[in-house]
Amino acid sequence: MTARPDPFIHPITRLSICGLLAAGADWVEFAALRDAAGISDSVLSKQSVVLEDAGYVQVRKGAVGRRPRTWFRLTAQGRQALEGHLAWLVQMEEAVSASSPQMTANSVNGRTAPRTVPSPD
Amino acid sequence: MRDVVRDPAALERLRVQRGRLADRMRPPWWYLTGSAILWAVLFAGPFILQYLLHGVPTWPSLVLTAAMLCLLRLMPWGLARATGIAVRLRNLRYRLGLSALIAMIVVFFAASQTETILIRHGLLAAAIVVAALAVAAQVALLQARLRGIRQELRDGGGAA
Repeated sequence: MTARPDPFIHPITRLSICGLLAAGADWVEFAALRDAAGISDSVLSKQSVVLEDAGYVQVRKGAVGRRPRTWFRLTAQGRQALEGHLAWLVQMEEAVSASSPQMTANSVNGRTAPRTVPSPD
Repeated sequence: MRDVVRDPAALERLRVQRGRLADRMRPPWWYLTGSAILWAVLFAGPFILQYLLHGVPTWPSLVLTAAMLCLLRLMPWGLARATGIAVRLRNLRYRLGLSALIAMIVVFFAASQTETILIRHGLLAAAIVVAALAVAAQVALLQARLRGIRQELRDGGGAA
Protein backbone atom coordinates (compact mmCIF):
# COMPACT_ATOMS: atom_id res chain seq x y z
CA MET A 1 0.00 0.00 0.00
CA THR A 2 1.35 3.44 -0.97
CA ALA A 3 0.74 6.33 1.40
CA ARG A 4 -0.59 9.11 -0.79
CA PRO A 5 -3.27 11.79 -0.54
CA ASP A 6 -6.47 11.31 -2.42
CA PRO A 7 -8.29 14.48 -3.48
CA PHE A 8 -11.67 12.76 -3.47
CA ILE A 9 -11.35 11.42 0.07
CA HIS A 10 -9.53 14.42 1.52
CA PRO A 11 -12.57 16.55 2.54
CA ILE A 12 -13.60 15.52 6.02
CA THR A 13 -17.18 14.52 5.13
CA ARG A 14 -16.01 12.15 2.42
CA LEU A 15 -13.33 10.77 4.73
CA SER A 16 -16.11 10.02 7.24
CA ILE A 17 -18.29 8.34 4.60
CA CYS A 18 -15.47 6.19 3.24
CA GLY A 19 -14.13 5.42 6.73
CA LEU A 20 -17.54 4.24 7.89
CA LEU A 21 -18.13 2.15 4.77
CA ALA A 22 -14.68 0.57 5.18
CA ALA A 23 -15.42 -0.50 8.74
CA GLY A 24 -16.51 -4.00 7.73
CA ALA A 25 -20.18 -3.89 6.74
CA ASP A 26 -21.16 -5.18 3.31
CA TRP A 27 -23.77 -2.46 2.75
CA VAL A 28 -24.78 0.50 4.91
CA GLU A 29 -28.18 2.14 4.60
CA PHE A 30 -28.55 5.89 3.97
CA ALA A 31 -30.02 6.76 7.39
CA ALA A 32 -27.46 4.65 9.27
CA LEU A 33 -24.59 6.32 7.42
CA ARG A 34 -26.10 9.79 7.88
CA ASP A 35 -26.64 9.29 11.63
CA ALA A 36 -23.21 7.75 12.22
CA ALA A 37 -21.45 10.50 10.29
CA GLY A 38 -23.62 13.20 11.89
CA ILE A 39 -24.39 14.93 8.60
CA SER A 40 -27.57 16.04 6.85
CA ASP A 41 -29.44 14.20 4.09
CA SER A 42 -28.42 16.74 1.47
CA VAL A 43 -24.72 16.64 2.39
CA LEU A 44 -24.68 12.85 2.26
CA SER A 45 -26.51 12.83 -1.09
CA LYS A 46 -24.12 15.36 -2.60
CA GLN A 47 -20.93 13.77 -1.33
CA SER A 48 -22.02 10.23 -2.17
CA VAL A 49 -22.58 11.29 -5.79
CA VAL A 50 -19.00 12.61 -5.95
CA LEU A 51 -17.66 9.36 -4.49
CA GLU A 52 -19.84 7.27 -6.79
CA ASP A 53 -18.62 9.19 -9.84
CA ALA A 54 -15.03 8.60 -8.69
CA GLY A 55 -15.75 4.87 -8.54
CA TYR A 56 -15.15 4.69 -4.79
CA VAL A 57 -18.69 3.97 -3.67
CA GLN A 58 -21.33 1.67 -5.09
CA VAL A 59 -24.95 2.74 -4.63
CA ARG A 60 -27.94 0.42 -4.61
CA LYS A 61 -31.42 1.89 -4.61
CA GLY A 62 -34.57 0.07 -3.64
CA ALA A 63 -37.82 0.57 -1.84
CA VAL A 64 -39.69 -1.02 1.02
CA GLY A 65 -43.34 -0.25 0.37
CA ARG A 66 -43.40 3.41 -0.55
CA ARG A 67 -40.24 4.26 1.35
CA PRO A 68 -37.14 4.53 -0.82
CA ARG A 69 -34.05 2.86 0.59
CA THR A 70 -30.53 3.63 -0.55
CA TRP A 71 -27.58 1.43 0.36
CA PHE A 72 -23.88 2.21 0.03
CA ARG A 73 -20.82 0.03 -0.28
CA LEU A 74 -17.15 0.88 -0.64
CA THR A 75 -15.61 -0.51 -3.82
CA ALA A 76 -12.19 -2.19 -3.93
CA GLN A 77 -10.84 0.95 -5.60
CA GLY A 78 -12.31 3.10 -2.83
CA ARG A 79 -10.86 0.87 -0.10
CA GLN A 80 -7.40 1.04 -1.69
CA ALA A 81 -7.60 4.83 -2.00
CA LEU A 82 -8.80 5.19 1.60
CA GLU A 83 -6.02 3.02 2.99
CA GLY A 84 -3.42 5.05 1.08
CA HIS A 85 -4.98 8.31 2.24
CA LEU A 86 -5.15 7.24 5.90
CA ALA A 87 -1.51 6.15 5.78
CA TRP A 88 -0.63 9.54 4.31
CA LEU A 89 -2.60 11.31 7.06
CA VAL A 90 -0.68 9.41 9.74
CA GLN A 91 2.60 10.35 8.03
CA MET A 92 1.50 13.99 7.93
CA GLU A 93 0.67 13.97 11.62
CA GLU A 94 4.06 12.46 12.42
CA ALA A 95 5.87 14.93 10.16
CA VAL A 96 4.07 17.90 11.72
CA SER A 97 4.84 16.63 15.24
CA ALA A 98 8.51 16.06 14.41
CA SER A 99 9.09 19.36 12.58
CA SER A 100 8.01 21.79 15.26
CA PRO A 101 6.38 21.45 18.65
CA GLN A 102 5.10 25.03 18.22
CA MET A 103 3.49 24.12 14.92
CA THR A 104 1.83 21.11 16.54
CA ALA A 105 0.41 23.30 19.27
CA ASN A 106 -0.94 25.74 16.71
CA SER A 107 -2.35 23.00 14.49
CA VAL A 108 -4.33 21.69 17.45
CA ASN A 109 -5.94 25.11 17.53
CA GLY A 110 -6.66 24.79 13.82
CA ARG A 111 -4.46 27.69 12.74
CA THR A 112 -1.56 26.07 10.89
CA ALA A 113 -0.69 23.02 8.77
CA PRO A 114 -1.12 24.29 5.23
CA ARG A 115 -3.61 22.68 2.94
CA THR A 116 -1.67 20.44 0.61
CA VAL A 117 -4.34 18.65 -1.34
CA PRO A 118 -6.72 20.52 -3.60
CA SER A 119 -10.34 19.61 -3.05
CA PRO A 120 -12.26 18.65 -6.19
CA ASP A 121 -15.33 20.55 -4.89
CA MET B 1 -15.51 22.30 3.19
CA ARG B 2 -13.19 21.66 6.10
CA ASP B 3 -9.84 20.14 5.51
CA VAL B 4 -8.57 17.11 7.40
CA VAL B 5 -5.01 18.39 7.73
CA ARG B 6 -6.33 21.48 9.51
CA ASP B 7 -8.32 19.28 11.84
CA PRO B 8 -6.07 16.93 13.86
CA ALA B 9 -9.14 15.42 15.52
CA ALA B 10 -10.40 14.04 12.20
CA LEU B 11 -9.20 10.50 12.82
CA GLU B 12 -10.53 10.62 16.37
CA ARG B 13 -13.89 11.83 15.00
CA LEU B 14 -13.88 8.91 12.57
CA ARG B 15 -13.41 6.54 15.51
CA VAL B 16 -16.40 8.10 17.29
CA GLN B 17 -18.50 7.79 14.11
CA ARG B 18 -17.54 4.12 13.80
CA GLY B 19 -18.61 3.61 17.40
CA ARG B 20 -22.02 5.10 16.54
CA LEU B 21 -22.30 2.80 13.53
CA ALA B 22 -21.33 -0.25 15.63
CA ASP B 23 -23.94 0.63 18.25
CA ARG B 24 -26.66 0.26 15.61
CA MET B 25 -25.64 -3.35 15.06
CA ARG B 26 -27.77 -4.67 17.92
CA PRO B 27 -30.17 -7.47 17.05
CA PRO B 28 -33.87 -6.86 17.77
CA TRP B 29 -35.71 -9.33 20.06
CA TRP B 30 -37.38 -11.09 17.14
CA TYR B 31 -34.02 -11.88 15.57
CA LEU B 32 -32.82 -13.83 18.58
CA THR B 33 -36.26 -15.44 18.99
CA GLY B 34 -36.31 -16.48 15.34
CA SER B 35 -32.80 -17.90 15.68
CA ALA B 36 -33.84 -19.89 18.74
CA ILE B 37 -36.84 -21.32 16.82
CA LEU B 38 -34.63 -22.24 13.87
CA TRP B 39 -32.11 -24.01 16.08
CA ALA B 40 -34.88 -25.72 18.04
CA VAL B 41 -36.31 -27.15 14.80
CA LEU B 42 -32.83 -28.24 13.69
CA PHE B 43 -32.11 -29.96 16.99
CA ALA B 44 -35.55 -31.58 16.86
CA GLY B 45 -34.38 -33.34 13.68
CA PRO B 46 -33.16 -36.54 15.39
CA PHE B 47 -36.47 -36.82 17.32
CA ILE B 48 -38.51 -36.26 14.16
CA LEU B 49 -36.50 -38.87 12.26
CA GLN B 50 -36.85 -41.41 15.07
CA TYR B 51 -40.46 -40.98 16.18
CA LEU B 52 -42.56 -38.92 13.78
CA LEU B 53 -41.69 -39.86 10.22
CA HIS B 54 -42.79 -43.51 10.42
CA GLY B 55 -46.01 -43.80 8.40
CA VAL B 56 -46.43 -40.04 8.10
CA PRO B 57 -46.77 -38.50 4.61
CA THR B 58 -43.74 -36.60 3.33
CA TRP B 59 -45.42 -33.27 2.65
CA PRO B 60 -45.59 -31.93 6.25
CA SER B 61 -41.83 -32.26 6.59
CA LEU B 62 -41.37 -30.60 3.20
CA VAL B 63 -43.62 -27.70 4.27
CA LEU B 64 -41.67 -27.39 7.54
CA THR B 65 -38.35 -27.40 5.66
CA ALA B 66 -39.61 -24.74 3.22
CA ALA B 67 -40.84 -22.58 6.12
CA MET B 68 -37.48 -22.89 7.87
CA LEU B 69 -35.59 -22.00 4.69
CA CYS B 70 -37.81 -18.91 4.22
CA LEU B 71 -37.16 -17.89 7.84
CA LEU B 72 -33.43 -18.47 7.33
CA ARG B 73 -33.52 -16.18 4.29
CA LEU B 74 -35.74 -13.52 5.84
CA MET B 75 -33.86 -13.07 9.10
CA PRO B 76 -30.63 -11.52 7.76
CA TRP B 77 -32.76 -9.33 5.49
CA GLY B 78 -34.84 -8.19 8.46
CA LEU B 79 -31.73 -7.59 10.56
CA ALA B 80 -30.25 -5.41 7.78
CA ARG B 81 -33.53 -3.46 7.57
CA ALA B 82 -33.71 -2.97 11.32
CA THR B 83 -30.09 -1.92 11.82
CA GLY B 84 -29.31 -0.28 8.46
CA ILE B 85 -26.17 -2.42 8.24
CA ALA B 86 -26.00 -5.45 5.99
CA VAL B 87 -23.48 -8.06 7.05
CA ARG B 88 -23.23 -11.63 5.94
CA LEU B 89 -22.94 -13.65 9.14
CA ARG B 90 -20.92 -16.31 7.35
CA ASN B 91 -18.53 -13.61 6.13
CA LEU B 92 -15.06 -14.62 7.29
CA ARG B 93 -13.86 -11.00 7.18
CA TYR B 94 -14.92 -10.52 10.79
CA ARG B 95 -12.00 -12.10 12.64
CA LEU B 96 -13.40 -11.38 16.08
CA GLY B 97 -16.60 -13.28 15.33
CA LEU B 98 -14.88 -16.19 13.61
CA SER B 99 -14.22 -18.17 16.81
CA ALA B 100 -17.93 -17.93 17.68
CA LEU B 101 -18.84 -19.17 14.18
CA ILE B 102 -16.49 -22.16 14.52
CA ALA B 103 -17.94 -22.90 17.98
CA MET B 104 -21.48 -22.81 16.49
CA ILE B 105 -20.53 -25.42 13.89
CA VAL B 106 -18.84 -27.63 16.51
CA VAL B 107 -21.84 -27.36 18.89
CA PHE B 108 -24.24 -28.22 16.06
CA PHE B 109 -22.48 -31.44 15.05
CA ALA B 110 -21.64 -32.49 18.62
CA ALA B 111 -25.18 -31.95 19.90
CA SER B 112 -26.81 -33.66 16.89
CA GLN B 113 -24.59 -36.73 17.29
CA THR B 114 -25.12 -36.86 21.06
CA GLU B 115 -28.89 -36.62 20.62
CA THR B 116 -28.90 -39.43 18.05
CA ILE B 117 -26.83 -41.70 20.32
CA LEU B 118 -29.01 -40.97 23.37
CA ILE B 119 -32.23 -41.59 21.41
CA ARG B 120 -30.87 -44.92 20.11
CA HIS B 121 -30.16 -45.97 23.71
CA GLY B 122 -33.67 -44.94 24.76
CA LEU B 123 -32.50 -41.98 26.88
CA LEU B 124 -35.17 -39.59 25.62
CA ALA B 125 -35.12 -37.17 28.58
CA ALA B 126 -31.35 -36.79 28.34
CA ALA B 127 -31.64 -36.16 24.58
CA ILE B 128 -34.23 -33.42 25.20
CA VAL B 129 -31.93 -31.79 27.78
CA VAL B 130 -29.02 -31.90 25.31
CA ALA B 131 -31.23 -30.30 22.60
CA ALA B 132 -32.38 -27.53 24.95
CA LEU B 133 -28.82 -26.79 26.07
CA ALA B 134 -27.64 -26.78 22.44
CA VAL B 135 -30.31 -24.22 21.46
CA ALA B 136 -29.30 -21.97 24.38
CA ALA B 137 -25.62 -22.35 23.44
CA GLN B 138 -26.29 -21.49 19.79
CA VAL B 139 -28.21 -18.31 20.69
CA ALA B 140 -25.43 -17.28 23.10
CA LEU B 141 -22.82 -17.94 20.40
CA LEU B 142 -24.84 -15.92 17.87
CA GLN B 143 -24.82 -13.00 20.31
CA ALA B 144 -21.06 -13.45 20.76
CA ARG B 145 -20.64 -13.41 16.99
CA LEU B 146 -22.64 -10.20 16.71
CA ARG B 147 -20.54 -8.70 19.53
CA GLY B 148 -17.45 -9.60 17.49
CA ILE B 149 -18.89 -7.91 14.41
CA ARG B 150 -19.72 -4.81 16.48
CA GLN B 151 -16.16 -4.71 17.79
CA GLU B 152 -14.85 -5.09 14.24
CA LEU B 153 -17.03 -2.19 13.06
CA ARG B 154 -15.78 -0.09 15.99
CA ASP B 155 -12.15 -0.92 15.17
CA GLY B 156 -12.65 0.00 11.53
CA GLY B 157 -12.22 -3.42 9.96
CA GLY B 158 -8.47 -2.93 9.67
CA ALA B 159 -8.91 0.15 7.47
CA ALA B 160 -7.40 2.50 10.01
